[in-house]
Amino acid sequence: MSADVSDLSLVRRVQRGDKGAFDALVLKYQHKLVKLVMRYVRNPAEAEDIAQEAFIKAYRALPQFRGDSAFYTWLYRIAINTAKNAVVSRDRSPIEYDLDRNNTDESYDMQGRMKDPETPEGLVLTDEIRSTVNAAIDALPEDLRTAIVLRELEGLSYEEIAAAMDCPVGTVRSRIFRAREAIDRRLREVFEGGLGRVEELG
Amino acid sequence: MNEELDSQLSAMFDDELPPAECELLARRLSRDEQLKARWGRYAVIGAAIRAERGVRLNAGLASRVSAAISSEPTLTAEPTPQPEKRFNNRWWQPVVSAAAVAGVAAVSILWLRSQSPEVTVAPSVAQTSVLPAGATVAASMTGSSAVVPVGAVSEPDSYVVPKSPGRRLVVPSTELANYVVAHSEFSSPVTRRNLLSAFMASESGTTGTSAGSEEPTEDVQDDAKNPQ
Repeated sequence: MSADVSDLSLVRRVQRGDKGAFDALVLKYQHKLVKLVMRYVRNPAEAEDIAQEAFIKAYRALPQFRGDSAFYTWLYRIAINTAKNAVVSRDRSPIEYDLDRNNTDESYDMQGRMKDPETPEGLVLTDEIRSTVNAAIDALPEDLRTAIVLRELEGLSYEEIAAAMDCPVGTVRSRIFRAREAIDRRLREVFEGGLGRVEELG
Repeated sequence: MNEELDSQLSAMFDDELPPAECELLARRLSRDEQLKARWGRYAVIGAAIRAERGVRLNAGLASRVSAAISSEPTLTAEPTPQPEKRFNNRWWQPVVSAAAVAGVAAVSILWLRSQSPEVTVAPSVAQTSVLPAGATVAASMTGSSAVVPVGAVSEPDSYVVPKSPGRRLVVPSTELANYVVAHSEFSSPVTRRNLLSAFMASESGTTGTSAGSEEPTEDVQDDAKNPQ
């Protein structure tokens, strides 16, 4: 299977004016992009702002995307440039300069807290999502757990997983799907029942 | 929800769905909010398994981006046909390359001709004027004597082609004939015949100078016989 086919089909739709297809790309890569940006900034909220800016820049530049490289490679380059520019402009910011010159760890921490909209409730939800997913994975049959972990954690293709598990590619596809469905059932309970933040899933 | 559809969605998320199915599902995914929410949860599951520390799984980033994009102009144009454009812009590149090569070759030939020794068959007088003996300055350049008129202001300009020092051809005719024969495969029969005829004609007048040129000199033969 050629890599990036699904991304490319979504990209082509966006290029033809389908904004909804871009939502799918954002949903797919938002976490990876925030993680990438956090190499440059420590604050999660600032990293999300930069990631958001990178997504918007990518959308505007999408007419020039020809598909010579994978979409996520192209997107990551935009994100890295955006993060570097943000760090430079932040360092040149007069407010930042004043805070730094006046010292101090205290003022820097205060600034960080002001930028970080992280709430205790939000932290609880993130932790609950993680613990729910982990519990769901532990409850999976061995073959499903191995397949989903090899895919998500190791990044193996279906063909590589099939070779590792000594089974057909179709079986791998089925196992990964069933693993996701099992985890998703538990996850939906968290979003819909527990804290009721379906709209915040994205 | 259709299980087969969800299975396709899972495969598409992993870039493992055939392109034709991808096209259809991408269309549906961009419009079906339920499907999109499931797609988003698949991303959350992956992020949770990878334990991406510091990444908030409920950040609402996608919602904010979607709101921002909604105010952006819709992309209506087809993707820029860059590859075709580049192809069209490249048609002249071979022409330019060929022209550059031809130019370098022409300059090289001219330079080589200017560097090669001049072959003068016989001196000739273009226009001879008799000047007073003391009114000329003999300039000795390149081994030949030139007569430059000095003070002959009222007389018309004239020059005398200097006498050839009578030096022999650098490459004897016999060697040239051998060269032509050895490389005859690269010349046309007519050209080859003409050249050989010319060599034979010139050979009759220069037999003494070119004879024995194919044979190594005695010194060379001695060196070959007695290597040190």
